[in-house]
Amino acid sequence: MQTSTASNDMAATEAQGKKRKPRGDWIPTNYDLRDTWFPVSHSRDVTSRPIRRIIHAQPYFLWREGGQPMASEFHPTQLQSMMGAASALTGGSGLYPVVERYGYVWAWYGNPDNADQQLLPHIPFLPLDGDIPGYTQRTVRFDAASALSVENLLDLTHADFLHANTIGDGISESDVVEVEWTSETVTRTRIVTQKSVAPIMRWVGGVRAKYQDFRAVLHVHLRSNVCISYPRFRPGYDVPNLQPFLPVGKHRSRCDVTFNTTAAPSPFRYLMPRINYIIQPQDNSVVRPQNQRYFEQPEQRDLHSRFDAPGTRYRLLMEKLAKRQREGDFSYGSDADPGRDIAALLGMDG
Amino acid sequence: MSSSAWWASALSEAVNGERPLPVVYDGEELVLFRNTKGQALALEDRCPHRRVPLALGCVVGDAVQCGYHGWIFDGTTGACTAIPNLHADERVPPRYAARAYPVAEQNGFVHVWLGDGEPSDSLPAASYQPRGREFTGSAVVSLQHDEYLAVMLDGPECLIDFEGVKITDFFLGDPIRRENHLVLDRGAVWTTQLLPANFVVDYPLILRTSVPLVGGDIRVDLLTAEERLICSVFVASGANRRRTTSLCWRGFMHDHDVEGAPLRWRAMRAARRPPFTVSSEIDGAQIAALLVAPSRDLTVLRQQSRIPATAAV
Repeated sequence: MQTSTASNDMAATEAQGKKRKPRGDWIPTNYDLRDTWFPVSHSRDVTSRPIRRIIHAQPYFLWREGGQPMASEFHPTQLQSMMGAASALTGGSGLYPVVERYGYVWAWYGNPDNADQQLLPHIPFLPLDGDIPGYTQRTVRFDAASALSVENLLDLTHADFLHANTIGDGISESDVVEVEWTSETVTRTRIVTQKSVAPIMRWVGGVRAKYQDFRAVLHVHLRSNVCISYPRFRPGYDVPNLQPFLPVGKHRSRCDVTFNTTAAPSPFRYLMPRINYIIQPQDNSVVRPQNQRYFEQPEQRDLHSRFDAPGTRYRLLMEKLAKRQREGDFSYGSDADPGRDIAALLGMDG
Repeated sequence: MSSSAWWASALSEAVNGERPLPVVYDGEELVLFRNTKGQALALEDRCPHRRVPLALGCVVGDAVQCGYHGWIFDGTTGACTAIPNLHADERVPPRYAARAYPVAEQNGFVHVWLGDGEPSDSLPAASYQPRGREFTGSAVVSLQHDEYLAVMLDGPECLIDFEGVKITDFFLGDPIRRENHLVLDRGAVWTTQLLPANFVVDYPLILRTSVPLVGGDIRVDLLTAEERLICSVFVASGANRRRTTSLCWRGFMHDHDVEGAPLRWRAMRAARRPPFTVSSEIDGAQIAALLVAPSRDLTVLRQQSRIPATAAV
C-alpha cells in the first residue's frame, strides 16, 4: 500500500503539473470496469416478486426462489424463452453469480467464470447475515455517473462548504488528510481537531460541546464503487456507513446506503440514516450540471488544489485500472486483496 | 466561425450584487453580477476547478464564489483570488482563472463582448432611446435563434403582439439593408375597424421590424401611416442551449397623440396597460405554416456577415 499526506505547497503542485506530459482530462462517465461484485440491492428489497436493477446498460432482475436470491438478465417469466439471447456476462445461462452478505444481494458483473466470493469486500461494521434494523437502510439517487459520485464523496472541502448546515463548516484547529492506495482501492483518512460540532450532532445527537475532534476514514473499492466509511466523532458517536454507488449508465447512479447507527442514542440513530435526503439534493444541484460538462470537449483541464489529493489519486487509479482492462487484463494485482480485514484500517479498534 | 459582436444579454435591473445571474447568448454560458461599485461583470458560467456553474454560488464583494468548493473568482479579471482553507502563506497559482468577458451597459441592457479581438465602441442598444415608462421582460423560447430572426421578418405576429393591432402579412416592399440590419415594413390595422384588413385601401399603421445581420438586437416599431412612432420595442436575442433562444426586451410608448386610434386603445393606454406582449410561448403550428419570404435575404446576408474566428484575432 502506498501513502501520501496533503502538502501545503500549492506552487509545488503547480510545478509538478508543468513537468508532466500533457494528457487528456479525466472523463468520469467512461468507466465500465468488470469482474467485480456489485451490491445491487438491499436484501430486504429482494422478495419472490422480481425487481429490476441496472449496472451500466445491463439489466439485473432480482428475486427469491426458496428464500435464495436469484439474479438474471431477463425477467424470470421470460428466462427460458430468452435463454438464447443471453450475454457473455451470464455465460449464456441468463443467470448471474449472486451471493447475499451484509444485508445486500451482491451480483457479479464480468466474466462469470471469474466470480469468486473471496473478492467480496470486507465490511467490519455490518453483520455478515445482514441482521440489522430497517431504519439503517435508505436508497438515494445521484444525477451523476458513479465515478463522479464517488469523487464527490472523497472530496473534503465541498462538504465543509455545500453541506455546512448539516455536517458543519471547515473551521478547525488542525486538519490533516492522508491518502493510501492499492491498485484496487483508495483510502482517505481525515483527522480534524477542534472542529465546530456538526449541526446534526448538536441538535439531534445532543452533543453540547462547542468543538469536537473527528477521524473519518473512507475506503473505496475502485471497480465496484463500494465506499466504506467510518467517521468517529469525539465527543459524539461513530457513524459507520456503506455507500455503494451502482453505475446506472453514464448519467446516473443509485446508492443503497446503510448507516449502522445502532450504537448511537435515539433520535440520532433514526435520523442520521435519513440525512442523505438532505445531502443528496445539495450534491445533485452541483454534480448534475457537472456530469453533463464532462461530455463536452474541454478547452481547459480541471484545476486542482491540495485539498483534492484524494480525488486526484482516485482519478489516477481509475485511469490505470481502466487502461489495464481495455488491454484485456481483468485480474486483480498482487497488492489487491478486496476481502482483507480492514477493521484496523478504518480505525475501529482505536 | 464567430459573429464578433457585443450581445445585449440581460436587463440592467436583472443583474445585481447579491445573486449571480446565469444567461446564455450566442451559445456561451455566462454568469452576470455587479461589484461593490455597481459595475456589471461577466464570467464564463463554469468553475475551472470542477466545471460547476458559478451561477450556483454567490456574489462576494467584487467577485463570485463557486457554490461547490468556495473558490472565489474576481469579476473583472476572472482570476481565482481565494481557495477556502488555504494557509496564509499559500498562494493560488496565477493561471487559475475563469474566463472573463468585457462588459458594457447602456440604455437598460448589459452587453457582453463574445467576439474575438478588441471590443468595438458601438453597442447594440445605443439606438434604443427610451422615454417615459418602459415595459420589460425576459424569456427563453423554443425556437432556434436563426429561425427566431427569420420569423421576425416572415411573421412577427407569431412572436410579438401589439394590443388592439392586427399585423398583416402584406410586406411593403422587400427588406432594405440599413448598416447591419435588414429592415422590413408591413401593413397593420386597428382590430376595432369594421372592414377586414383585405378591404383597406391604405393601411393606417405600419409595423417595422429591424433584424440584425450580426448579433441579436431586434427592433420592432409600430408607426402611423404618417411614419410617426407609436411604440418601440428592443428585443435582445441570442442562441441558448438545445436550439432555444434567449430573449430580454424593453419597450415604450412615444409621447404624442395617435390620430385615429380607437377609443378602447386610448383607454387601455390611459390605464397603463402594456401596449405589447413578446411571446414567451411560441405556437409551432403557426410557425410551420409561415411562408419563407423576406427571410431568404436574411439567411444569405447573415451567413456572409459572419467573421472567421482566425481572421478576427
